[in-house]
Amino acid sequence: MGVAKLLVTSEGAELVRRCRKGDGAAWEEIVQTYSRRIYNLAYRFTSRADSAEDLTQEVFIRVYRSLDQYNPKQGDLQNWLMRLARNLIIDDYRKRQRAPQDEAADDLEEHKYHLRASGATVQREMERRELGVQVQAGIDKLSADLRTCVILRDIEELSYQEIVDLLKIPEGTVKSRINRGRIELAKILRRMRVVEA
Amino acid sequence: MLCHEFEDQLTDYLDGTLGVEAHKNFAEHAMRCPLCHDLLGEVKSTLVACSASEAPPAGVGLEARILMKTMPETAITCAEFEDYLTDYLDGFLVAPLYHRWERHAALCESCSELPGDVVRSIGACYTYKQDELAVPAGLEARILQSTIGNVLPQQVRAPFMSRLVEWLRGALDPIVSPQLATVATMLLVAVFVLTNTVSTDGSVGGIYHASLQLAQRTADNATRSSVVPDGMKNLEGSVDDLMGADNASDTSDEANKNQNQANQNNASPNPQSKRKNNDAQPKGR
Repeated sequence: MGVAKLLVTSEGAELVRRCRKGDGAAWEEIVQTYSRRIYNLAYRFTSRADSAEDLTQEVFIRVYRSLDQYNPKQGDLQNWLMRLARNLIIDDYRKRQRAPQDEAADDLEEHKYHLRASGATVQREMERRELGVQVQAGIDKLSADLRTCVILRDIEELSYQEIVDLLKIPEGTVKSRINRGRIELAKILRRMRVVEA
Repeated sequence: MLCHEFEDQLTDYLDGTLGVEAHKNFAEHAMRCPLCHDLLGEVKSTLVACSASEAPPAGVGLEARILMKTMPETAITCAEFEDYLTDYLDGFLVAPLYHRWERHAALCESCSELPGDVVRSIGACYTYKQDELAVPAGLEARILQSTIGNVLPQQVRAPFMSRLVEWLRGALDPIVSPQLATVATMLLVAVFVLTNTVSTDGSVGGIYHASLQLAQRTADNATRSSVVPDGMKNLEGSVDDLMGADNASDTSDEANKNQNQANQNNASPNPQSKRKNNDAQPKGR
């Protein structure tokens, strides 16, 4: 474990320790640090801003109630928190797949994208925003199993083993779904003229 | 030499197959006749150009098509091609399969674009990831309200019991944590070694024997001093009793026995303590 990782781990542990002692500011820092990442993860799966907001809130309530279970010796706070968030979001996604609702992703245009490239031109920002909308639309067209694996692998950038542990399915199945999901997504994006030779 | 004869011998001249006299006549005509001189120059230039030119590159699928015609058993289907796509991108395909896969990519028109599309699609996902949505306004406040019941975290203070439990958790962690077990064991062993209370033969009886020897040495030291408190005298008696019984089966320390006898004479007898220690001895052993 490197020095930087140790520092991260100790900072996370200190934050959690302060939270357990009832320090509201420490909890606010955790919320501010991770809310955007969790909200985005929730949005990948739900494709709806309101659902993603509700899900993010639910995740943080569960995290807050589980703070006693956090053990710094088993990894840093970010890993623990994101693992918990992924489990909850995927569970929620599976439940919604079993009970499908009318959730057309029709509110994509209502959202503003946070662009890291501050010097980018307006046109480039527009293009990137459009790309994001189209990629999300393409992902939405995948089946639930393929969508989950593609998001975890190509957006969340988890390793095969991490996905195996998270979804509790064999590694061969994970690889197969990632492969099939990538091919399906590529064909969809090609039809949408998002990717072209 | 006439001009038509020059043209007839042109190829033989360029090939170097003319005789000496014919070669000389051919060269003289080329120098005299401007038309034939130009003709000779053009033919030479054409030959150079022809030798320098190459056939256009073969199509990318030529080799694959040849192999497909000659070794059809090495081909893979489009479904297999798709199944192995991620393994190919990850570099996990074994060499024979790798070549068959690439051959299919070059040959099959419906599959040739797919690898590039998948790579660009993955790239689009990564780009999409970079452009994160901002957290909607008010979401963090709602989270704080639903967890700590207050949107102003600085005002939040946990109940006394929560703070006490957390304080105890921090204070007790070094004790209950298993990481100090090794250190504690080593310290315990070190104390035993330094105080000579380690069994020489590994038995429990040996530990008591070593402890009694230690007590005996302490008693001896006390005896040498001029003033011996009554409590210490009682201790001496009890140690002597114990050592006497113990040494009945172990006569190796005869000098100590003699010393014990002398001590007994000096110490005031205390039957009560003797009885107590005699009662305690079997338990100890």
